[in-house]
Amino acid sequence: MAIEAVFFDGETARDRVVTLRKVDNDLEFVGADTPLTRWSIKGLHPIDPPTPGQPFRITHDSRPGTRLVLRDQFFIDGLIAQNKHLRGGYGWRHIWHVLGWTVTGLAGAAAVGYVVLTILPGQVAGMLPDSWRNRAGDQVVKSLVGDAKRCQSRGGNEAVTAMVAALAEGKSDLPPVSVEIYDLPVLNAFATPGGRIILTRQLLSEAESPAEVTGVLAHEIGHVAYLHPESQLVRVAGLQILISTVTGGGGTDYTANVAGLAALLRYSREAELQADAYARDIMEAGSIDPTGLKKFFEKIMKLEKFMIPDSDDNSKKSLFDKIGNIFSTHPGTEDRIKNIVPLPVDKKPVVIMTEAQWMALKNICG
Amino acid sequence: MNDSSIAKSLPANAEALAFSYVERKGLLKLTIMNLLLNIVTLWFYRFWAKTHVRKHIWSCVHINGEPLEYTGTGMELFKGFLVVLAVFILPYAVFSGVVYVVYGPESPLHIIAYIALIFLIQVLWGFAIYKARKYQLSRTQWRGIRGTLTGSAMIYSLLYFGSQIAKSMSLGWSTPVLNTVLQEQITNDMRFGDAAFKFKGRAGPLYPTYAMCWLLTGAAIIGALVVFFSSAAASGYFQDLFNSDKNLGDEALHWLGLALVVLILFLLVAMVLIPMLWAIYTAKELRTFATYTRFDGAQFQLSATTGSVIWLTIVNLLILIFTLGQGWPYIQQRLVRFMVDRLTLDGKVDIDRIGQSTAKLEGRGEGLADAFDVGGF
Repeated sequence: MAIEAVFFDGETARDRVVTLRKVDNDLEFVGADTPLTRWSIKGLHPIDPPTPGQPFRITHDSRPGTRLVLRDQFFIDGLIAQNKHLRGGYGWRHIWHVLGWTVTGLAGAAAVGYVVLTILPGQVAGMLPDSWRNRAGDQVVKSLVGDAKRCQSRGGNEAVTAMVAALAEGKSDLPPVSVEIYDLPVLNAFATPGGRIILTRQLLSEAESPAEVTGVLAHEIGHVAYLHPESQLVRVAGLQILISTVTGGGGTDYTANVAGLAALLRYSREAELQADAYARDIMEAGSIDPTGLKKFFEKIMKLEKFMIPDSDDNSKKSLFDKIGNIFSTHPGTEDRIKNIVPLPVDKKPVVIMTEAQWMALKNICG
Repeated sequence: MNDSSIAKSLPANAEALAFSYVERKGLLKLTIMNLLLNIVTLWFYRFWAKTHVRKHIWSCVHINGEPLEYTGTGMELFKGFLVVLAVFILPYAVFSGVVYVVYGPESPLHIIAYIALIFLIQVLWGFAIYKARKYQLSRTQWRGIRGTLTGSAMIYSLLYFGSQIAKSMSLGWSTPVLNTVLQEQITNDMRFGDAAFKFKGRAGPLYPTYAMCWLLTGAAIIGALVVFFSSAAASGYFQDLFNSDKNLGDEALHWLGLALVVLILFLLVAMVLIPMLWAIYTAKELRTFATYTRFDGAQFQLSATTGSVIWLTIVNLLILIFTLGQGWPYIQQRLVRFMVDRLTLDGKVDIDRIGQSTAKLEGRGEGLADAFDVGGF
């Protein structure tokens, strides 16, 4: 059966009337100014899904710029019925194609995410120059303590030096640290990039012995030794880059807000266990009673539910107030407490500081 | 050469062009499928979704019974996105990340980098518009012939950026002139095959309408303030404000009422009255720019009225709100249909003479327009 169709050659906008018929598995057409052309039906593509009552427009692999417009509905129906690939639109093949790419894409994204968030931070942290670490540390401390007063006194400073010296007895290559105490009504301690360790007034108030504070300090020095703050800094930055990439730049600026800083304080459970193990080792090597740390952890677990920041004015709160107390940033504490065991019986605990120094430390913020 | 001499030079088989929108079934199915696939793919399917919708809408636009055809692909849009990601988004994200690591999370450099980014976006906004228009034209075919833009996207971008600054510095009064210049720039770069569009006209006829809208907007704002202050004074808000004997509960209630009045007034003026006023200018500009535009000597006309622009905007806004943005294919369909139903071309065109465009086809498209969420299609 021959029908009339219109052919566009893709060279000019001129429409050319042609006579078209199906010959075996091909379409053959010819017109007054169109040479005899034969297209395999297999190579045909619908321009749009066929719509009953509207012209059906097709092209061919061999000449993708051309268009053949069929208007004979009977011929169109027959052609489509015998050749499902001419139906166009959504089909299961298309959906499976999309799903396949999606699964591949997600797997790729997960792999990149794993490298950026797990493997890279530790590697990059070790390469950061000291000036970068110190500058980032300054920024973090500034954000964390807000306008809180830094507490210092001669006796208190001597007590801090004594604690660090006692820990250094157990480990000669202790990383250089700077311990700072701030007048903050929250129970927390934190290590920042650049080896700065911050203790709060509340933490010292709640402690009952030098061994408790020294234990906390040993744990924070563990974070410093393993470059956990620096790794976390790189991890948060990597997370921001990933979010920006996935959302096409539309992600929240995670790096410059409180949520970003809060994320910075939350080490992984592995990092906490590493710091715990470090603390246990240097305390044991230095003959410092680790049960002080254990007691301290147990005590603040009980106290935690009563700890309510005493300022209602949000604008006056430091970031510590917003983030909360020590257990909101240290996960899985109960198990970690169980891992703290007393010194071997043959080791006698050393005296970390004098009673006067201890009292000076407890009252360092006045 | 005047219009009659152009008409005389046309061959006998030159045709008048008639535009029509012939609706096809399938847009609802397309919308639902796109939504589902977008969800499954965390919105990465959006490039293919956009392409499918364009193919559908384009195919409904008929010129002399022959539909337009959209030949773009989702992969081209995705490639455009990847390029923008690589040269724009990723460097910024990495820079932010490095600043975070080197200077800390609270460094003012973050704000400086953000301001620089906003500035860059403003500078490149016109570039994004031009490139997106160029891509869409190059992927639009009629009778097997495609369109294109032949000019420089960077020149248009600088013109666009400069015009935005000039508009704000002149309190909007340079808008008609600058919009005319921008339209002239982009229209004169437009080609269908080897045939050019021409734009010629002055901004003068736009000014009476612009001045009226500008003054009415000013009057609406002043009127809203007068209504607010007079009703506030009449109901004793100001006396209460300075009356220390009032108890706090009453004062809080009064302030709540006042805040509500301000909010309603703001909504009425900013979201209803002012856009409706400016619809008068938009309709005038659309009509004027259409009459300034010629193709092969034939002149366009667009019968857009203020009422039709307002109706188009309101219904599109309602679709956007009630479908939570997922009805965007219908919004685009309505926008295209609005233009097609009102567009006519006075004069005849020698269609057979129009040859294929020789402009190089770029392999990717609209990355920046997608990243900036530039309006349009």
